[in-house]
Amino acid sequence: MRDPDEELVRRVGAGDKRAASELVRRHLPRMVGLGRRMLGDAAEAEDVAQEVFLRVWKHAATWKPGQAKFETWMHRVAMNLCLDRLRRAGRNGGEVSPEFEDGRASATRALDDRQRRERVRDALMLLPERQRAALVLCYYQDRTNIEAAEILGVTVEALESLLSRARRTLKTELAAERADLLSGLEAG
Amino acid sequence: MNESRFMELMAAYGADLARWPDDVRGDAGAFLEVAPHRVKDVWESERTFDRLLLLERDSPASIALETRIISSAPDRRMVRRGPRVPALWDIPKWAAGGALAASLALGFAVGYAEPEHPVPPDYAKMLTLSGGGAGSVFLSAMTEKEQ
Repeated sequence: MRDPDEELVRRVGAGDKRAASELVRRHLPRMVGLGRRMLGDAAEAEDVAQEVFLRVWKHAATWKPGQAKFETWMHRVAMNLCLDRLRRAGRNGGEVSPEFEDGRASATRALDDRQRRERVRDALMLLPERQRAALVLCYYQDRTNIEAAEILGVTVEALESLLSRARRTLKTELAAERADLLSGLEAG
Repeated sequence: MNESRFMELMAAYGADLARWPDDVRGDAGAFLEVAPHRVKDVWESERTFDRLLLLERDSPASIALETRIISSAPDRRMVRRGPRVPALWDIPKWAAGGALAASLALGFAVGYAEPEHPVPPDYAKMLTLSGGGAGSVFLSAMTEKEQ
């Protein structure tokens, strides 16, 4: 199947600013989303996204279609930048908000979508980085199992194992408030 | 597809079959149609969990970031076009050697050739006519000294 970004990348390589704008609009939200979920910090996520595009500008002119899809390559660059940052900082994930700790301990109150979203985000940050990376790629970045395995440099079987463990860990993390978190969803 | 494999895949990819690997999706859908209630109950529970996970959606990127990134993109003026002029080190050694020998020969030939009408060294006058400034003063002094 033809890479949907192939023509755009070729034009970017030839210095077409309009193609660059289109490529940014097409992929920037996903790159920022990946960074935010991996690093738990909006500013760091923006830095990572910017770095990814600097590499795109650098390599566009020499990009050879036919190997990995361009978007998969971008995901690999973004994921490696995130993992590098996490390792350099000696941390596994981002900071978990104090509200999350409070929420886990008590609270049987109605939660709105924003609060639910924050709880899920915080629970994601508690996952070990490889499990989080697998989940982020397959659930939020819509990568296929083969693409996600390739990005992480593991087999599909290993990816499935990471995904299963990630879901199990998340369920455990959210178990205390599962009823609150799910009540509105089940009704809706 | 049997129950055990179905549960294994659901534990990894969740309830949405669209996320499952291409090669098992059809079989998994067919299995789910006729699956026992206990499997369907687990599937429903996983589906709710998927919805919870997906509340954490992408938000649009900031305009400032988008602008910053687009402005950093290379444009035509910065991208070299057309074939590159070969540098000296790109030329084959035999060709470079030949060119060097030819230029030396030409240099000697021109150097030994005596002009038919030697030009008088009246540089100071020429510079004065064209408004030579400090240079003409210097050359006038040189010419007077020679005379």
